[in-house]
Amino acid sequence: MMRMLACTLLVVALTFRAPSVAAEPAPTKVRVVCTLSDLAALAQQVGGPDVEVAHLVDPGQDAHYVDARPSLMLPLARADLLVVNGLELEVGWLPPLQRGARNAAIQVGAAGFLDASIAVRRLQVPGTVASRSQGDVHPAGNPHYLHDARAAAAVAQAIGQRLAQLDPARAARHRARATEVSSALLAFAEAQRTRFAALPEGRRRVVVYHQSLVYLLDWLGIEQAAAIEPLPGIPPNPGHIAKVLATMRALSVPAVLQEPYYPRNAAETLARLAKAKLVVVPGGADVDRGETYLARIRRTVEAIHGALR
Amino acid sequence: MACAVVLTPAADGPVRGGRRSARLGPALSWASIALCSSLASVALAQPAALPTATTADAAEEAELQRALARDAGTAGPATTAAAVPVAAAYSSPAAAGWQTILPDISLILDTALAAFVGAPRQTGAHDPAQRGFNLQQLEMHLESSVDPYLELQANLVFSQFGVEVEEAYGRTLAAPLGLQLRMGQFLARAGRSNPTHPHAWHFADQALVNGKFFGSEGQRGLGAEVSWLAPLPWVVELIAAAAMPNGACCARSFGGGQAISVGGARDLALNLRLEQFFDLSPRASLLVGVGGLAGPNSTGFWNRTEIAIADVMFRWRDQGDAQRRAFTLQIEMMGRRRQVPDRLLQDAGVTASAVARLALRWEAGLRFEHVLGVADDPLDPSWTADRTRSTAQVTFYPSHFSRLRAQASWDRRPAEARDGFAAFLAFEALIGAHGAHSY
Repeated sequence: MMRMLACTLLVVALTFRAPSVAAEPAPTKVRVVCTLSDLAALAQQVGGPDVEVAHLVDPGQDAHYVDARPSLMLPLARADLLVVNGLELEVGWLPPLQRGARNAAIQVGAAGFLDASIAVRRLQVPGTVASRSQGDVHPAGNPHYLHDARAAAAVAQAIGQRLAQLDPARAARHRARATEVSSALLAFAEAQRTRFAALPEGRRRVVVYHQSLVYLLDWLGIEQAAAIEPLPGIPPNPGHIAKVLATMRALSVPAVLQEPYYPRNAAETLARLAKAKLVVVPGGADVDRGETYLARIRRTVEAIHGALR
Repeated sequence: MACAVVLTPAADGPVRGGRRSARLGPALSWASIALCSSLASVALAQPAALPTATTADAAEEAELQRALARDAGTAGPATTAAAVPVAAAYSSPAAAGWQTILPDISLILDTALAAFVGAPRQTGAHDPAQRGFNLQQLEMHLESSVDPYLELQANLVFSQFGVEVEEAYGRTLAAPLGLQLRMGQFLARAGRSNPTHPHAWHFADQALVNGKFFGSEGQRGLGAEVSWLAPLPWVVELIAAAAMPNGACCARSFGGGQAISVGGARDLALNLRLEQFFDLSPRASLLVGVGGLAGPNSTGFWNRTEIAIADVMFRWRDQGDAQRRAFTLQIEMMGRRRQVPDRLLQDAGVTASAVARLALRWEAGLRFEHVLGVADDPLDPSWTADRTRSTAQVTFYPSHFSRLRAQASWDRRPAEARDGFAAFLAFEALIGAHGAHSY
């Protein structure tokens, strides 16, 4: 009994030691775990050879509904930095994993936890009331900002700042790479904005499946004529779809956009009936095949431009 | 679809049941029609109410409906449109303070309409246990970080006439060496079902063996737990806990409702569990747990009870599937040994379930249970014969935050004159911010 008590006291004493707010020098590579593959692609470019990056959600998966498989705790248990999308996108599965990983370095509030949404200008923040009668709304704003190269540029900078803080010996290199990635993305964003602005105004209209492309459309100056989901997270019904079809015909909407993990039959049928093109937008960068964020967003933009041209 | 499943047992009530259910049967049928139709109208409504102001002709409409049915994973009838807000207004980025230091608060209502043939013999405090309407629970869940080291979780459960502290514990966030500590009142991590709440159940009632071995509220008590995540290439978690061995509702194999004076670790209910998890493929996974509980029982100073538990869960899900289809097979086995004066009582029970997420909004499940009885059981005189129960359920989820579940079960009781049947129509709704569930 006494020995048990002594052991308990030791563990308790270690538990309540001061949290490491100041960064400790990382001896080798900084181990970064990102929830989304887009974040992983950015972190890999910013960290270069000084980081080791893993991600939890593949680009073909809907990040709202991920199984909290205990095996996802393993990379988190060893991570020096956890980068999340935030704005409650991962709220349905990440907290038990983060807690279960038993890694003080990556808990909310620690230096090793980065909510990338702090860097971006948020859209669709509920102005007055946020209620679930409006569907599965995110009270802090629309979380799908990684479809916007401008937001990604800001996120790259935030990751660079945090890596510099965690890895002070190589801080200058992290900052320099972050600026490089960020500048390239901003230049690309600006060029695409100009390119899309050259399209006839009547062609710059789309229908989307989920309210997940507002940042992309905001960046490229495209109008969202309608969404196939009547409310976020609520599956469509025929009456609503009929209205979407009417809207598409009235406005000659040239394209329907959606990610790969949403049901596709309604979008395919709508596109056929309204003589529009269906564009399946990548859910994220294919980092397992070495795709960079810039390559993936270029792929996205080219597909949309092809449909609107 | 749900209505048909519910109405059949209710309509059978008068035929097989006693006088009471004969009177109640038709009433229940009407009540279930009313409830069912009002709730089902969330999804299924008359095509006659379709808006007319569209340019789609009838053939196109039919085509769109077929596409939607394929998207929904069902071939059911069409539904109407509610208001159609198309483009939400862009708001200013200056929405400050949306996340405050208030804890996450959620309220979950579980209520059910029940019909029984034969006497209701449910074992759980949150089961629908009376004919007619039941309040299974109104659960208020609160959780938040306490400081950089700890978080606090509490489940306060309201019945119609009172409040109970179901769980309330602090948990460490920053313990060293892969350890985590919990202290307070909590459900023991003994097997897969015991630590879960009705909100996370795939059936409207508690497993029989859990009721028999642990009590109507499961195995829980005031205590402390330490768990360790081993630094291995696969998930190995070791859990050890000690808790008070008594409580009227919740430590049935141990002290039960009796007061027990604790003089040392031997007087506590001890729990040990080893849990391992394997990714068999990107789609399939396997979770295996073994463990046991030991503690004093209510028959005397040195008489003890031991329970051994083994469980396995196989889950298949293609995480890229737009219908979010999944299949889960879970088997939980428990064996128990109780030393009582002059006798050693041994019994066991098994719960096996298969639950399939069929489409975005639909789930179906089957459960099989077998529990052994002990002849002349001095600690459990009402449970002397074996019991076998088979259950089927179909669930409709209007959204992520509500569900309507129809469940029917057949309870074979060889020792009694007739078998028992139960039919439930259970409804759940959740408001507020509710923390994510563990796997």
